[in-house]
Amino acid sequence: MAIGTLGVVGLLGLRAFTGQLGILGVPGLGQDLLTLATSVIIESLPFVVLGIVLSIVVQAWLPDNFLMRYLPHRPVFRRAAISLFGIALPVCECGNVPLARGLILKGFSVPEAMTFLLAAPIINPITIITTYQAFGLDDGILVGRILGGLAIANIVGWLFSLHPQPPAMLTDRFAAQCSSNSSHHRQSRSEKSLDIFMRESSVLMPAVFIGSLIAGAIQVAVPRDVLVSLGGNPLWSILAMMLLAFVISVCSSVDAFFILPFASTFMPGSIVTFLVFGPIIDIKMLAIMRTTFTAKVLVQLSLVVALMSAFIGLVINYVA
Amino acid sequence: MWPSLRRWWGVILILTAVSATVWLAATQQLVLYIHPRYVVFTVVMAAIALVLGVLSLAVRPMSTDEPETRRGWSRVVGGLALLVSGAVAISLVIVPPTTLSSATASQRDIVGSTVGSDSQNVDDVANADDELIASFTVVDWSSLLRQTSDPSFYTNKTADVVGFITASDDDPANIFYLSRFTVTCCAVDAQPTGVAVYAPDWANDFDVDEWVEITGSFEVNPSSRSDLPLVLVPETMTAVERPSEPYLY
Repeated sequence: MAIGTLGVVGLLGLRAFTGQLGILGVPGLGQDLLTLATSVIIESLPFVVLGIVLSIVVQAWLPDNFLMRYLPHRPVFRRAAISLFGIALPVCECGNVPLARGLILKGFSVPEAMTFLLAAPIINPITIITTYQAFGLDDGILVGRILGGLAIANIVGWLFSLHPQPPAMLTDRFAAQCSSNSSHHRQSRSEKSLDIFMRESSVLMPAVFIGSLIAGAIQVAVPRDVLVSLGGNPLWSILAMMLLAFVISVCSSVDAFFILPFASTFMPGSIVTFLVFGPIIDIKMLAIMRTTFTAKVLVQLSLVVALMSAFIGLVINYVA
Repeated sequence: MWPSLRRWWGVILILTAVSATVWLAATQQLVLYIHPRYVVFTVVMAAIALVLGVLSLAVRPMSTDEPETRRGWSRVVGGLALLVSGAVAISLVIVPPTTLSSATASQRDIVGSTVGSDSQNVDDVANADDELIASFTVVDWSSLLRQTSDPSFYTNKTADVVGFITASDDDPANIFYLSRFTVTCCAVDAQPTGVAVYAPDWANDFDVDEWVEITGSFEVNPSSRSDLPLVLVPETMTAVERPSEPYLY
Protein backbone atom coordinates (compact mmCIF):
# COMPACT_ATOMS: atom_id res chain seq x y z
CA MET A 1 0.00 0.00 0.00
CA ALA A 2 2.81 2.37 0.95
CA ILE A 3 4.60 1.88 -2.39
CA GLY A 4 1.47 2.61 -4.41
CA THR A 5 0.52 5.65 -2.36
CA LEU A 6 4.06 7.03 -2.45
CA GLY A 7 4.24 6.44 -6.20
CA VAL A 8 1.01 8.31 -6.87
CA VAL A 9 1.99 11.17 -4.54
CA GLY A 10 5.35 11.34 -6.34
CA LEU A 11 3.68 11.48 -9.76
CA LEU A 12 1.27 14.17 -8.58
CA GLY A 13 4.17 16.17 -7.15
CA LEU A 14 6.16 15.85 -10.38
CA ARG A 15 3.10 16.89 -12.41
CA ALA A 16 2.47 19.90 -10.17
CA PHE A 17 6.13 20.94 -10.40
CA THR A 18 6.50 20.57 -14.18
CA GLY A 19 3.09 22.16 -14.78
CA GLN A 20 4.55 25.46 -13.63
CA LEU A 21 7.61 25.26 -15.86
CA GLY A 22 7.38 26.89 -19.25
CA ILE A 23 10.69 25.49 -20.47
CA LEU A 24 9.34 22.05 -21.31
CA GLY A 25 6.86 23.34 -23.85
CA VAL A 26 7.15 21.94 -27.37
CA PRO A 27 6.49 24.27 -30.30
CA GLY A 28 3.80 24.10 -33.01
CA LEU A 29 2.60 20.80 -34.37
CA GLY A 30 4.85 18.85 -31.97
CA GLN A 31 2.94 20.35 -29.06
CA ASP A 32 -0.35 19.68 -30.82
CA LEU A 33 0.65 16.05 -31.36
CA LEU A 34 1.20 15.67 -27.59
CA THR A 35 -2.04 17.54 -26.82
CA LEU A 36 -3.98 15.22 -29.15
CA ALA A 37 -2.31 12.09 -27.77
CA THR A 38 -3.02 13.23 -24.19
CA SER A 39 -6.60 13.96 -25.16
CA VAL A 40 -7.08 10.45 -26.57
CA ILE A 41 -5.63 8.91 -23.39
CA ILE A 42 -7.74 11.00 -21.02
CA GLU A 43 -10.88 10.45 -23.10
CA SER A 44 -10.27 6.70 -23.33
CA LEU A 45 -9.15 6.12 -19.74
CA PRO A 46 -12.59 6.08 -18.06
CA PHE A 47 -14.02 3.74 -20.68
CA VAL A 48 -11.03 1.39 -20.49
CA VAL A 49 -11.34 1.34 -16.69
CA LEU A 50 -15.11 0.76 -16.94
CA GLY A 51 -14.51 -2.04 -19.43
CA ILE A 52 -11.94 -3.66 -17.12
CA VAL A 53 -14.33 -3.37 -14.16
CA LEU A 54 -17.13 -5.00 -16.17
CA SER A 55 -14.69 -7.68 -17.28
CA ILE A 56 -13.81 -8.29 -13.62
CA VAL A 57 -17.52 -8.62 -12.81
CA VAL A 58 -18.03 -11.13 -15.63
CA GLN A 59 -14.93 -13.18 -14.86
CA ALA A 60 -14.75 -13.11 -11.07
CA TRP A 61 -18.17 -12.37 -9.71
CA LEU A 62 -20.86 -13.75 -12.05
CA PRO A 63 -21.67 -17.48 -11.75
CA ASP A 64 -20.06 -19.54 -14.52
CA ASN A 65 -23.23 -20.16 -16.53
CA PHE A 66 -25.03 -16.94 -15.73
CA LEU A 67 -24.83 -15.49 -19.27
CA MET A 68 -24.76 -18.80 -21.11
CA ARG A 69 -27.97 -20.22 -19.69
CA TYR A 70 -30.19 -17.54 -21.19
CA LEU A 71 -28.72 -17.59 -24.69
CA PRO A 72 -30.23 -19.54 -27.61
CA HIS A 73 -28.37 -22.71 -28.62
CA ARG A 74 -28.38 -22.19 -32.39
CA PRO A 75 -25.26 -20.17 -33.26
CA VAL A 76 -27.04 -17.69 -35.54
CA PHE A 77 -29.66 -16.77 -32.95
CA ARG A 78 -27.07 -16.89 -30.21
CA ARG A 79 -24.87 -14.33 -32.00
CA ALA A 80 -27.95 -12.23 -32.75
CA ALA A 81 -28.76 -12.17 -29.03
CA ILE A 82 -25.13 -11.37 -28.14
CA SER A 83 -25.11 -8.50 -30.63
CA LEU A 84 -27.84 -6.89 -28.52
CA PHE A 85 -25.84 -7.01 -25.26
CA GLY A 86 -24.62 -3.49 -25.95
CA ILE A 87 -28.09 -2.03 -25.36
CA ALA A 88 -27.52 -2.52 -21.64
CA LEU A 89 -23.89 -1.37 -21.65
CA PRO A 90 -23.11 2.34 -22.05
CA VAL A 91 -19.47 1.60 -22.86
CA CYS A 92 -17.56 2.94 -25.84
CA GLU A 93 -15.55 0.80 -28.21
CA CYS A 94 -12.24 0.80 -26.32
CA GLY A 95 -14.00 -0.25 -23.11
CA ASN A 96 -15.65 -3.15 -24.90
CA VAL A 97 -12.33 -4.82 -25.69
CA PRO A 98 -11.58 -5.89 -22.09
CA LEU A 99 -15.21 -6.97 -21.76
CA ALA A 100 -14.99 -9.04 -24.95
CA ARG A 101 -11.78 -10.61 -23.62
CA GLY A 102 -13.63 -11.41 -20.41
CA LEU A 103 -16.43 -13.06 -22.38
CA ILE A 104 -13.92 -15.28 -24.22
CA LEU A 105 -12.28 -16.21 -20.93
CA LYS A 106 -15.75 -17.03 -19.61
CA GLY A 107 -16.39 -19.51 -22.41
CA PHE A 108 -17.81 -17.48 -25.30
CA SER A 109 -16.43 -18.43 -28.71
CA VAL A 110 -14.17 -15.98 -30.54
CA PRO A 111 -16.81 -15.16 -33.24
CA GLU A 112 -19.40 -14.57 -30.51
CA ALA A 113 -17.13 -12.19 -28.63
CA MET A 114 -16.31 -10.43 -31.90
CA THR A 115 -20.01 -10.03 -32.68
CA PHE A 116 -20.46 -8.36 -29.30
CA LEU A 117 -17.37 -6.19 -29.81
CA LEU A 118 -18.55 -4.88 -33.18
CA ALA A 119 -22.20 -4.25 -32.31
CA ALA A 120 -21.96 -2.94 -28.74
CA PRO A 121 -20.48 0.52 -29.37
CA ILE A 122 -23.09 1.25 -32.08
CA ILE A 123 -26.21 0.13 -30.26
CA ASN A 124 -25.29 1.30 -26.78
CA PRO A 125 -27.97 3.65 -25.45
CA ILE A 126 -25.77 6.76 -25.32
CA THR A 127 -24.73 6.31 -28.94
CA ILE A 128 -28.35 5.94 -30.05
CA ILE A 129 -29.48 9.00 -28.08
CA THR A 130 -26.66 11.24 -29.32
CA THR A 131 -27.17 10.10 -32.92
CA TYR A 132 -30.88 10.91 -32.58
CA GLN A 133 -30.06 14.30 -31.03
CA ALA A 134 -27.72 15.10 -33.91
CA PHE A 135 -29.74 13.84 -36.88
CA GLY A 136 -33.23 12.95 -35.65
CA LEU A 137 -34.77 10.51 -38.10
CA ASP A 138 -33.62 12.50 -41.15
CA ASP A 139 -32.34 10.64 -44.23
CA GLY A 140 -32.35 7.28 -42.44
CA ILE A 141 -29.07 8.05 -40.70
CA LEU A 142 -30.07 6.72 -37.26
CA VAL A 143 -31.86 3.66 -38.63
CA GLY A 144 -29.04 3.02 -41.10
CA ARG A 145 -26.51 3.19 -38.29
CA ILE A 146 -28.32 0.78 -35.96
CA LEU A 147 -29.34 -1.76 -38.60
CA GLY A 148 -26.03 -1.42 -40.43
CA GLY A 149 -24.04 -1.96 -37.23
CA LEU A 150 -26.08 -5.03 -36.26
CA ALA A 151 -25.84 -6.45 -39.78
CA ILE A 152 -22.07 -6.00 -39.94
CA ALA A 153 -21.56 -7.50 -36.47
CA ASN A 154 -23.66 -10.57 -37.22
CA ILE A 155 -22.26 -11.15 -40.70
CA VAL A 156 -18.68 -10.77 -39.47
CA GLY A 157 -19.48 -13.12 -36.59
CA TRP A 158 -20.88 -15.66 -39.05
CA LEU A 159 -17.87 -15.31 -41.38
CA PHE A 160 -15.39 -15.86 -38.57
CA SER A 161 -17.45 -18.78 -37.24
CA LEU A 162 -16.47 -20.58 -40.46
CA HIS A 163 -12.83 -20.49 -39.33
CA PRO A 164 -11.70 -24.09 -38.74
CA GLN A 165 -9.76 -23.16 -35.60
CA PRO A 166 -11.24 -20.09 -33.91
CA PRO A 167 -8.62 -20.00 -31.10
CA ALA A 168 -5.99 -19.46 -33.84
CA MET A 169 -7.51 -16.01 -34.35
CA LEU A 170 -6.19 -14.97 -30.94
CA THR A 171 -2.72 -13.70 -30.16
CA ASP A 172 -0.42 -16.30 -28.63
CA ARG A 173 -0.40 -14.45 -25.35
CA PHE A 174 -4.17 -14.26 -25.03
CA ALA A 175 -4.63 -17.84 -26.26
CA ALA A 176 -2.20 -18.96 -23.54
CA GLN A 177 -4.15 -16.90 -21.04
CA CYS A 178 -7.38 -18.61 -22.11
CA SER A 179 -5.75 -22.01 -21.59
CA SER A 180 -4.38 -21.14 -18.17
CA ASN A 181 -7.72 -19.63 -17.19
CA SER A 182 -9.42 -22.98 -17.64
CA SER A 183 -7.09 -24.63 -15.15
CA HIS A 184 -7.81 -24.20 -11.47
CA HIS A 185 -5.94 -21.67 -9.38
CA ARG A 186 -6.63 -21.01 -5.76
CA GLN A 187 -7.55 -17.34 -5.58
CA SER A 188 -10.12 -15.49 -3.57
CA ARG A 189 -12.53 -13.40 -5.65
CA SER A 190 -10.87 -10.21 -4.46
CA GLU A 191 -7.43 -11.49 -5.36
CA LYS A 192 -8.71 -12.69 -8.73
CA SER A 193 -10.27 -9.26 -9.34
CA LEU A 194 -6.96 -7.51 -8.73
CA ASP A 195 -5.14 -10.10 -10.84
CA ILE A 196 -7.55 -9.40 -13.73
CA PHE A 197 -7.09 -5.64 -13.24
CA MET A 198 -3.30 -6.01 -13.46
CA ARG A 199 -3.44 -8.39 -16.42
CA GLU A 200 -5.92 -6.35 -18.46
CA SER A 201 -4.18 -3.03 -17.76
CA SER A 202 -0.79 -4.52 -18.69
CA VAL A 203 -2.27 -5.61 -22.02
CA LEU A 204 -4.49 -2.63 -22.81
CA MET A 205 -2.70 0.43 -21.45
CA PRO A 206 0.44 0.17 -23.65
CA ALA A 207 -1.91 -0.20 -26.64
CA VAL A 208 -3.90 2.87 -25.58
CA PHE A 209 -0.71 4.92 -25.13
CA ILE A 210 0.85 3.83 -28.43
CA GLY A 211 -2.47 4.11 -30.31
CA SER A 212 -2.98 7.63 -28.96
CA LEU A 213 0.47 8.68 -30.15
CA ILE A 214 -0.11 7.27 -33.64
CA ALA A 215 -3.59 8.83 -33.82
CA GLY A 216 -2.15 12.21 -32.80
CA ALA A 217 0.70 11.95 -35.30
CA ILE A 218 -1.59 11.08 -38.21
CA GLN A 219 -4.02 13.84 -37.28
CA VAL A 220 -1.34 16.50 -37.48
CA ALA A 221 0.03 14.99 -40.70
CA VAL A 222 -3.19 14.64 -42.76
CA PRO A 223 -4.77 17.97 -43.80
CA ARG A 224 -8.51 17.70 -43.20
CA ASP A 225 -9.48 19.95 -46.10
CA VAL A 226 -8.24 17.26 -48.49
CA LEU A 227 -10.89 14.90 -47.12
CA VAL A 228 -13.64 17.51 -47.00
CA SER A 229 -13.08 18.45 -50.65
CA LEU A 230 -14.29 14.96 -51.61
CA GLY A 231 -17.68 15.37 -49.93
CA GLY A 232 -20.02 15.75 -52.92
CA ASN A 233 -19.19 12.56 -54.80
CA PRO A 234 -21.24 9.44 -53.84
CA LEU A 235 -18.23 7.11 -53.93
CA TRP A 236 -15.31 9.35 -52.99
CA SER A 237 -17.25 10.88 -50.12
CA ILE A 238 -17.69 7.41 -48.64
CA LEU A 239 -14.00 6.65 -48.90
CA ALA A 240 -13.18 10.06 -47.42
CA MET A 241 -15.53 9.43 -44.51
CA MET A 242 -13.95 6.05 -43.79
CA LEU A 243 -10.50 7.62 -43.86
CA LEU A 244 -11.67 10.41 -41.58
CA ALA A 245 -13.22 7.91 -39.15
CA PHE A 246 -10.01 5.85 -39.21
CA VAL A 247 -7.84 8.87 -38.46
CA ILE A 248 -10.03 10.72 -35.99
CA SER A 249 -10.55 7.72 -33.64
CA VAL A 250 -13.35 9.55 -31.84
CA CYS A 251 -15.57 7.84 -29.28
CA SER A 252 -18.78 6.29 -30.67
CA SER A 253 -20.99 7.99 -28.09
CA VAL A 254 -20.19 11.45 -29.48
CA ASP A 255 -19.10 10.84 -33.07
CA ALA A 256 -22.55 11.95 -34.32
CA PHE A 257 -21.96 15.44 -32.93
CA PHE A 258 -18.50 15.50 -34.45
CA ILE A 259 -19.75 14.64 -37.92
CA LEU A 260 -22.85 16.84 -37.75
CA PRO A 261 -21.11 19.96 -39.23
CA PHE A 262 -20.08 17.83 -42.22
CA ALA A 263 -23.69 16.85 -42.96
CA SER A 264 -24.14 19.82 -45.27
CA THR A 265 -21.07 18.84 -47.29
CA PHE A 266 -21.31 15.04 -47.32
CA MET A 267 -24.11 12.78 -48.53
CA PRO A 268 -26.28 10.92 -45.94
CA GLY A 269 -24.91 7.50 -46.86
CA SER A 270 -21.38 8.78 -46.35
CA ILE A 271 -22.35 10.00 -42.88
CA VAL A 272 -23.77 6.54 -42.09
CA THR A 273 -20.55 4.97 -43.32
CA PHE A 274 -18.61 7.18 -40.89
CA LEU A 275 -20.95 6.26 -38.03
CA VAL A 276 -20.81 2.53 -38.74
CA PHE A 277 -17.14 2.15 -39.70
CA GLY A 278 -15.60 4.45 -37.07
CA PRO A 279 -16.71 2.61 -33.92
CA ILE A 280 -15.29 -0.65 -35.28
CA ILE A 281 -12.15 0.29 -37.15
CA ASP A 282 -9.85 3.17 -36.30
CA ILE A 283 -6.24 3.65 -35.32
CA LYS A 284 -6.87 3.49 -31.59
CA MET A 285 -9.17 0.46 -31.85
CA LEU A 286 -6.76 -1.48 -34.05
CA ALA A 287 -4.00 -0.89 -31.50
CA ILE A 288 -6.25 -2.07 -28.67
CA MET A 289 -7.74 -5.02 -30.60
CA ARG A 290 -4.21 -6.16 -31.51
CA THR A 291 -3.85 -7.15 -27.85
CA THR A 292 -6.38 -9.91 -28.51
CA PHE A 293 -6.53 -10.80 -32.21
CA THR A 294 -3.78 -11.65 -34.68
CA ALA A 295 -2.70 -9.11 -37.30
CA LYS A 296 -4.13 -11.34 -40.05
CA VAL A 297 -7.56 -11.36 -38.40
CA LEU A 298 -7.49 -7.58 -38.00
CA VAL A 299 -6.63 -7.10 -41.69
CA GLN A 300 -9.50 -9.41 -42.68
CA LEU A 301 -11.83 -7.68 -40.24
CA SER A 302 -10.87 -4.23 -41.54
CA LEU A 303 -11.45 -5.24 -45.15
CA VAL A 304 -14.82 -6.87 -44.50
CA VAL A 305 -16.07 -4.00 -42.33
CA ALA A 306 -14.82 -1.42 -44.85
CA LEU A 307 -16.57 -3.16 -47.74
CA MET A 308 -19.83 -3.59 -45.84
CA SER A 309 -19.78 -0.02 -44.50
CA ALA A 310 -19.14 1.30 -48.00
CA PHE A 311 -21.95 -0.86 -49.40
CA ILE A 312 -24.42 0.41 -46.78
CA GLY A 313 -23.35 3.99 -47.47
CA LEU A 314 -23.67 3.58 -51.24
CA VAL A 315 -27.16 2.09 -50.95
CA ILE A 316 -28.29 5.00 -48.75
CA ASN A 317 -26.62 7.56 -51.04
CA TYR A 318 -28.51 6.27 -54.04
CA VAL A 319 -31.81 5.51 -52.30
CA ALA A 320 -32.20 8.31 -49.73
CA MET B 1 12.90 -8.95 -14.68
CA TRP B 2 11.10 -8.80 -18.09
CA PRO B 3 7.96 -10.81 -17.11
CA SER B 4 7.76 -8.91 -13.84
CA LEU B 5 8.06 -5.53 -15.61
CA ARG B 6 5.43 -6.55 -18.16
CA ARG B 7 3.09 -7.63 -15.38
CA TRP B 8 3.36 -4.31 -13.53
CA TRP B 9 3.70 -2.04 -16.57
CA GLY B 10 -0.05 -1.62 -17.06
CA VAL B 11 -0.56 -0.57 -13.44
CA ILE B 12 2.32 1.91 -13.75
CA LEU B 13 0.80 3.39 -16.94
CA ILE B 14 -2.70 3.53 -15.50
CA LEU B 15 -1.49 5.23 -12.31
CA THR B 16 0.48 7.72 -14.41
CA ALA B 17 -2.61 8.54 -16.51
CA VAL B 18 -4.72 8.75 -13.35
CA SER B 19 -2.24 11.08 -11.64
CA ALA B 20 -2.17 13.38 -14.68
CA THR B 21 -5.98 13.33 -14.89
CA VAL B 22 -6.47 14.07 -11.19
CA TRP B 23 -3.96 16.93 -11.28
CA LEU B 24 -5.58 18.42 -14.38
CA ALA B 25 -9.00 18.18 -12.74
CA ALA B 26 -7.74 19.72 -9.50
CA THR B 27 -6.20 22.64 -11.39
CA GLN B 28 -9.30 22.96 -13.62
CA GLN B 29 -7.30 22.20 -16.76
CA LEU B 30 -9.03 18.97 -17.71
CA VAL B 31 -11.17 21.03 -20.11
CA LEU B 32 -8.05 21.54 -22.23
CA TYR B 33 -8.48 17.91 -23.28
CA ILE B 34 -12.13 16.88 -22.86
CA HIS B 35 -15.60 18.45 -22.92
CA PRO B 36 -16.72 19.69 -19.47
CA ARG B 37 -19.67 17.27 -19.48
CA TYR B 38 -17.20 14.35 -19.16
CA VAL B 39 -15.14 15.78 -16.31
CA VAL B 40 -17.12 14.19 -13.46
CA PHE B 41 -17.30 10.78 -15.16
CA THR B 42 -13.59 10.89 -15.96
CA VAL B 43 -12.62 11.82 -12.40
CA VAL B 44 -14.88 9.13 -10.90
CA MET B 45 -13.39 6.43 -13.12
CA ALA B 46 -9.88 7.76 -12.41
CA ALA B 47 -10.62 7.41 -8.68
CA ILE B 48 -11.75 3.80 -9.20
CA ALA B 49 -8.59 3.08 -11.21
CA LEU B 50 -6.51 4.72 -8.48
CA VAL B 51 -8.02 2.48 -5.78
CA LEU B 52 -7.59 -0.66 -7.90
CA GLY B 53 -4.02 0.30 -8.84
CA VAL B 54 -2.93 1.03 -5.27
CA LEU B 55 -4.65 -2.14 -3.99
CA SER B 56 -2.87 -4.17 -6.68
CA LEU B 57 0.46 -2.84 -5.48
CA ALA B 58 -0.50 -3.56 -1.87
CA VAL B 59 -1.93 -7.08 -2.31
CA ARG B 60 0.36 -8.19 -5.16
CA PRO B 61 -2.00 -10.93 -6.33
CA MET B 62 -0.48 -14.18 -7.54
CA SER B 63 -0.39 -14.39 -11.34
CA THR B 64 -2.45 -17.11 -12.99
CA ASP B 65 -0.72 -16.62 -16.35
CA GLU B 66 1.65 -19.22 -17.70
CA PRO B 67 5.24 -17.93 -17.84
CA GLU B 68 5.76 -16.31 -21.23
CA THR B 69 8.94 -16.70 -23.23
CA ARG B 70 9.74 -14.12 -25.91
CA ARG B 71 12.48 -14.46 -28.46
CA GLY B 72 13.85 -12.56 -31.44
CA TRP B 73 11.58 -9.97 -33.05
CA SER B 74 8.84 -10.53 -30.51
CA ARG B 75 11.22 -9.39 -27.78
CA VAL B 76 12.32 -6.37 -29.84
CA VAL B 77 8.72 -5.33 -30.53
CA GLY B 78 7.84 -5.80 -26.87
CA GLY B 79 10.80 -3.63 -25.87
CA LEU B 80 9.84 -0.94 -28.37
CA ALA B 81 6.24 -0.93 -27.11
CA LEU B 82 7.53 -0.50 -23.60
CA LEU B 83 9.81 2.37 -24.63
CA VAL B 84 7.16 4.23 -26.65
CA SER B 85 4.41 3.84 -24.05
CA GLY B 86 6.93 4.90 -21.39
CA ALA B 87 7.84 8.01 -23.37
CA VAL B 88 4.16 8.93 -23.73
CA ALA B 89 3.70 8.35 -19.99
CA ILE B 90 6.62 10.68 -19.21
CA SER B 91 5.16 13.35 -21.48
CA LEU B 92 1.89 13.08 -19.54
CA VAL B 93 3.59 14.19 -16.34
CA ILE B 94 6.21 16.64 -17.56
CA VAL B 95 4.86 18.53 -20.59
CA PRO B 96 2.87 21.59 -19.49
CA PRO B 97 -0.81 21.31 -20.46
CA THR B 98 -1.94 23.56 -23.27
CA THR B 99 -4.56 23.96 -25.98
CA LEU B 100 -4.27 23.11 -29.64
CA SER B 101 -2.45 25.82 -31.57
CA SER B 102 -2.93 27.81 -34.76
CA ALA B 103 -0.90 25.16 -36.60
CA THR B 104 -3.79 22.72 -36.17
CA ALA B 105 -6.36 25.45 -36.90
CA SER B 106 -4.71 26.02 -40.28
CA GLN B 107 -4.31 22.31 -40.91
CA ARG B 108 -8.02 21.74 -40.19
CA ASP B 109 -9.16 24.32 -42.73
CA ILE B 110 -10.24 27.29 -40.66
CA VAL B 111 -11.24 29.18 -43.81
CA GLY B 112 -13.66 26.54 -45.08
CA SER B 113 -14.95 25.57 -41.65
CA THR B 114 -18.72 25.15 -41.32
CA VAL B 115 -18.63 24.79 -37.53
CA GLY B 116 -21.64 26.36 -35.82
CA SER B 117 -23.14 27.34 -39.15
CA ASP B 118 -26.60 27.49 -37.55
CA SER B 119 -25.56 28.98 -34.19
CA GLN B 120 -27.14 32.33 -35.20
CA ASN B 121 -29.75 33.25 -37.76
CA VAL B 122 -29.65 36.54 -39.67
CA ASP B 123 -33.40 37.06 -39.31
CA ASP B 124 -33.22 36.70 -35.54
CA VAL B 125 -30.14 38.88 -35.24
CA ALA B 126 -31.27 41.69 -37.57
CA ASN B 127 -33.00 43.60 -34.79
CA ALA B 128 -31.23 42.08 -31.79
CA ASP B 129 -30.37 44.35 -28.86
CA ASP B 130 -26.82 45.37 -27.97
CA GLU B 131 -26.69 43.08 -24.95
CA LEU B 132 -27.31 39.98 -27.06
CA ILE B 133 -24.84 41.06 -29.72
CA ALA B 134 -22.19 41.73 -27.10
CA SER B 135 -22.46 38.09 -26.03
CA PHE B 136 -21.66 36.75 -29.51
CA THR B 137 -18.54 34.62 -29.80
CA VAL B 138 -16.32 34.05 -32.80
CA VAL B 139 -18.55 31.10 -33.73
CA ASP B 140 -21.68 33.28 -33.78
CA TRP B 141 -20.09 35.96 -35.98
CA SER B 142 -18.60 33.35 -38.26
CA SER B 143 -22.06 31.82 -38.62
CA LEU B 144 -23.57 35.18 -39.59
CA LEU B 145 -20.77 35.94 -42.05
CA ARG B 146 -21.47 32.70 -43.86
CA GLN B 147 -25.14 33.67 -44.19
CA THR B 148 -24.77 37.25 -45.40
CA SER B 149 -22.00 39.51 -46.60
CA ASP B 150 -24.28 42.55 -46.88
CA PRO B 151 -22.35 45.35 -45.08
CA SER B 152 -25.58 47.09 -44.04
CA PHE B 153 -26.54 44.07 -41.89
CA TYR B 154 -23.48 44.67 -39.69
CA THR B 155 -23.96 48.43 -39.33
CA ASN B 156 -24.27 49.49 -35.67
CA LYS B 157 -23.43 45.95 -34.53
CA THR B 158 -20.23 46.07 -32.48
CA ALA B 159 -18.35 42.82 -32.02
CA ASP B 160 -16.47 42.11 -28.78
CA VAL B 161 -14.69 38.80 -29.23
CA VAL B 162 -11.80 36.81 -27.80
CA GLY B 163 -9.67 34.31 -29.66
CA PHE B 164 -6.16 33.36 -30.67
CA ILE B 165 -4.32 34.57 -33.74
CA THR B 166 -4.00 32.32 -36.77
CA ALA B 167 -2.08 33.74 -39.73
CA SER B 168 -3.88 34.25 -43.04
CA ASP B 169 -2.43 32.86 -46.26
CA ASP B 170 -3.89 35.54 -48.55
CA ASP B 171 -2.61 38.72 -46.96
CA PRO B 172 -0.49 37.66 -43.98
CA ALA B 173 0.86 41.17 -43.31
CA ASN B 174 -2.55 42.77 -42.84
CA ILE B 175 -5.09 40.03 -42.12
CA PHE B 176 -5.25 37.27 -39.52
CA TYR B 177 -7.99 35.00 -38.25
CA LEU B 178 -9.28 35.45 -34.73
CA SER B 179 -9.85 31.77 -33.99
CA ARG B 180 -11.46 29.39 -31.56
CA PHE B 181 -11.86 25.63 -31.52
CA THR B 182 -15.23 24.01 -30.86
CA VAL B 183 -15.21 20.64 -29.15
CA THR B 184 -17.91 17.94 -28.95
CA CYS B 185 -16.04 15.29 -26.98
CA CYS B 186 -12.34 15.99 -26.69
CA ALA B 187 -9.51 17.91 -28.32
CA VAL B 188 -9.24 15.18 -30.95
CA ASP B 189 -12.48 16.32 -32.57
CA ALA B 190 -11.76 20.05 -32.15
CA GLN B 191 -12.81 22.01 -35.19
CA PRO B 192 -11.55 25.53 -35.79
CA THR B 193 -13.57 28.54 -36.76
CA GLY B 194 -12.64 32.18 -36.99
CA VAL B 195 -13.33 35.64 -38.32
CA ALA B 196 -10.92 37.54 -40.53
CA VAL B 197 -9.44 40.64 -38.87
CA TYR B 198 -7.95 43.50 -40.86
CA ALA B 199 -5.09 44.99 -38.83
CA PRO B 200 -2.18 46.32 -40.94
CA ASP B 201 1.23 45.15 -39.67
CA TRP B 202 -0.36 43.27 -36.78
CA ALA B 203 2.74 41.12 -36.42
CA ASN B 204 4.65 44.14 -35.06
CA ASP B 205 2.56 44.01 -31.89
CA PHE B 206 1.21 40.49 -31.65
CA ASP B 207 2.35 36.93 -32.19
CA VAL B 208 0.68 33.98 -33.86
CA ASP B 209 -1.17 31.91 -31.20
CA GLU B 210 -1.42 34.91 -28.88
CA TRP B 211 -4.85 35.40 -27.29
CA VAL B 212 -6.41 38.81 -27.95
CA GLU B 213 -9.69 40.60 -27.30
CA ILE B 214 -10.97 42.72 -30.16
CA THR B 215 -13.72 45.29 -30.21
CA GLY B 216 -14.72 46.49 -33.65
CA SER B 217 -17.13 46.29 -36.53
CA PHE B 218 -17.42 44.32 -39.75
CA GLU B 219 -16.63 46.35 -42.85
CA VAL B 220 -15.86 45.84 -46.53
CA ASN B 221 -12.43 44.25 -46.84
CA PRO B 222 -9.87 46.97 -47.77
CA SER B 223 -7.19 44.42 -48.66
CA SER B 224 -6.46 44.06 -52.35
CA ARG B 225 -4.75 40.67 -51.84
CA SER B 226 -7.65 38.95 -50.08
CA ASP B 227 -11.01 38.14 -51.67
CA LEU B 228 -12.93 37.97 -48.39
CA PRO B 229 -15.94 40.32 -48.69
CA LEU B 230 -16.04 41.48 -45.05
CA VAL B 231 -13.46 41.69 -42.29
CA LEU B 232 -13.48 42.73 -38.66
CA VAL B 233 -11.82 46.12 -38.32
CA PRO B 234 -10.65 46.60 -34.73
CA GLU B 235 -11.28 49.71 -32.68
CA THR B 236 -9.35 48.18 -29.81
CA MET B 237 -7.16 45.10 -29.75
CA THR B 238 -5.51 43.97 -26.53
CA ALA B 239 -3.57 40.88 -25.51
CA VAL B 240 -5.41 38.78 -22.91
CA GLU B 241 -4.76 35.63 -20.92
CA ARG B 242 -6.00 32.36 -22.40
CA PRO B 243 -9.58 31.84 -21.10
CA SER B 244 -10.07 29.16 -18.46
CA GLU B 245 -12.27 27.36 -20.99
CA PRO B 246 -10.45 28.02 -24.26
CA TYR B 247 -12.69 25.80 -26.37
CA LEU B 248 -16.29 26.59 -27.28
CA TYR B 249 -19.01 23.95 -27.02
